[in-house]
Amino acid sequence: MDRILVTVDPDLRELIPGFLENRARDAVRMGEALARRDYESIKRLGHSMKGVGGGYGFDEITRLGAEIERAAAAGDEAALRGLQTQLDEYMRRVTVVYG
Amino acid sequence: MTDAKDTSGAIPATHRVLVVDDDADMLALLSVWLRHAGLAVSTASSGAEALARLATARPHCVLTDLYMEGMDGMTLLAEIHQRNPLLPVLMLSGQATVPEAVRAMHLGISDFLTKPVEREVLIERVRKALRLSPAPPPGDAPRFGADIIYRSARMAELLEQAELVADSDVTVFISGPTGTGKEILAKAIHRASPRRDKPFVGVNCGAIPEQLLESELFGHEKGAFTGANTRHEGLFQAADGGTLFLDEIGDMPLGLQVKLLRVLQDFEVRPVGSTRSVPINVRVISATHQDLAACVARGEFREDLYYRLNVVPLHMPVLAERREDIPALIDHFLEQQARRRGVKKKRFAPEALEYLLAASWPGNVRQLHNVVELCTTLSKSDIIPLSLARIALREEPRGVKTFKDARADFEKSYLTDVLRAAQGRVSKAARMAGRNRTEFYKLLSQHGLNPADFRGGGGQGGADDAENDVSDGDAPPDAGVAADDPPEQ
Repeated sequence: MDRILVTVDPDLRELIPGFLENRARDAVRMGEALARRDYESIKRLGHSMKGVGGGYGFDEITRLGAEIERAAAAGDEAALRGLQTQLDEYMRRVTVVYG
Repeated sequence: MTDAKDTSGAIPATHRVLVVDDDADMLALLSVWLRHAGLAVSTASSGAEALARLATARPHCVLTDLYMEGMDGMTLLAEIHQRNPLLPVLMLSGQATVPEAVRAMHLGISDFLTKPVEREVLIERVRKALRLSPAPPPGDAPRFGADIIYRSARMAELLEQAELVADSDVTVFISGPTGTGKEILAKAIHRASPRRDKPFVGVNCGAIPEQLLESELFGHEKGAFTGANTRHEGLFQAADGGTLFLDEIGDMPLGLQVKLLRVLQDFEVRPVGSTRSVPINVRVISATHQDLAACVARGEFREDLYYRLNVVPLHMPVLAERREDIPALIDHFLEQQARRRGVKKKRFAPEALEYLLAASWPGNVRQLHNVVELCTTLSKSDIIPLSLARIALREEPRGVKTFKDARADFEKSYLTDVLRAAQGRVSKAARMAGRNRTEFYKLLSQHGLNPADFRGGGGQGGADDAENDVSDGDAPPDAGVAADDPPEQ
């Protein structure tokens, strides 16, 4: 499996482990909410991912967050499942480089 | 605090920012960015916590998320401004709709940022807001235009432009309708210039007859014309080393325009009746409410003079274009009134404030000042009701006046200008107005004008009068506030 390298501002070094843990938790929560079709919670998750991802240097998180927010607002379950897979995969492959 | 990336700006670490977000990652991110930019940061993870922290954190600016569980950013904004109406609040939002942004602007937000936000953008906007802070930490150099009350991006931009030109001797031209505060901007430029310790002399070119204006500007020799019993130094000489503010330049008669042009080209004046020219060192700032380009097109204003004056054009926006400044202006005027009368500060009821926010304000900041003054005078309670605001706005004189009122207004404005030009010397003023002293005193008393208010100390003459008009904004309009300037805005 190829790694996805993300270059992050060294000023944020201390925050990155917590940030990544929270996103992994988001992926789990998204799965749970999807199981009970709680689109409102998913929309909030997506909204928050969209707002915070790029700031930390993870533009892909922002992109996925925006997609998730949109799909949740539309109640598009199939799209959400696809996005959940993308998020899981991204979280598995992402590797941080500081510089 | 020594991060190389973001400490280039001149914000001292003593500037405090309160960051509010219910997303822990966002809160941490914003805090790191702001700390690395040299700011002292405190955080709150909810609106309620932010309000509780306000007193202890004493921030100079608040950065808050719009959508939060519990109290949202908009409610927080209203609560903050109830405690401190002038505290800049920046709103951060993932998906603000236009009506929300408009509402936030009306509620007095300093800036609206959209998530995801870039580090440089965020720092820049916080810096901008901090420059607007009403309470910079002690020891700081006074910020440019410290007397100018505003929150709007429009005014911030204008002041940035003005600040850039303040330092040089470049000729500035300020356009903008009556009551927008052109003279106040001119004074801010003067105060930020190397000429700040020298006089700022203002003259309303439209208020003085041509013959007198010439001798007022350039001076005259003894016996130069009937009534010239002594030699008189003109305003150009009075402003030596400082700034001469030529207000209502569009009203200057054509004959005088050519003489002014010569002065600006040669940097010397020749007093009326003199054969010798005197070198002058004066920066000229001019202003008018007229469309000067149109005056040029109609042949009423010399094109060469227009270009000579209009080197750096600055435009004062009308109040309706900077509505987000209205709450801060109102608060300022209420404070001023309370201080002047030594009474408790009054407040407008929320619906009265809404009403004032939505008004059209053709008379701009001066009209707003008059309305607030009328309301505070007439209101029996501490909270000014909507009904009174309505009456005040309706009653505030504008449009067609009765002949008697119009004449009284003109007389007062004319007397004010003459007193200013004569630097409060009654015999001189009476002479300029072609009246005897007794008659002139009678007129002054009829209009409640006190010549002492137009006298300056320290040999600056009219400059002091002008400074007093706005330096603390306390001069009541009937005590010599310039005819075309709000007391402070």
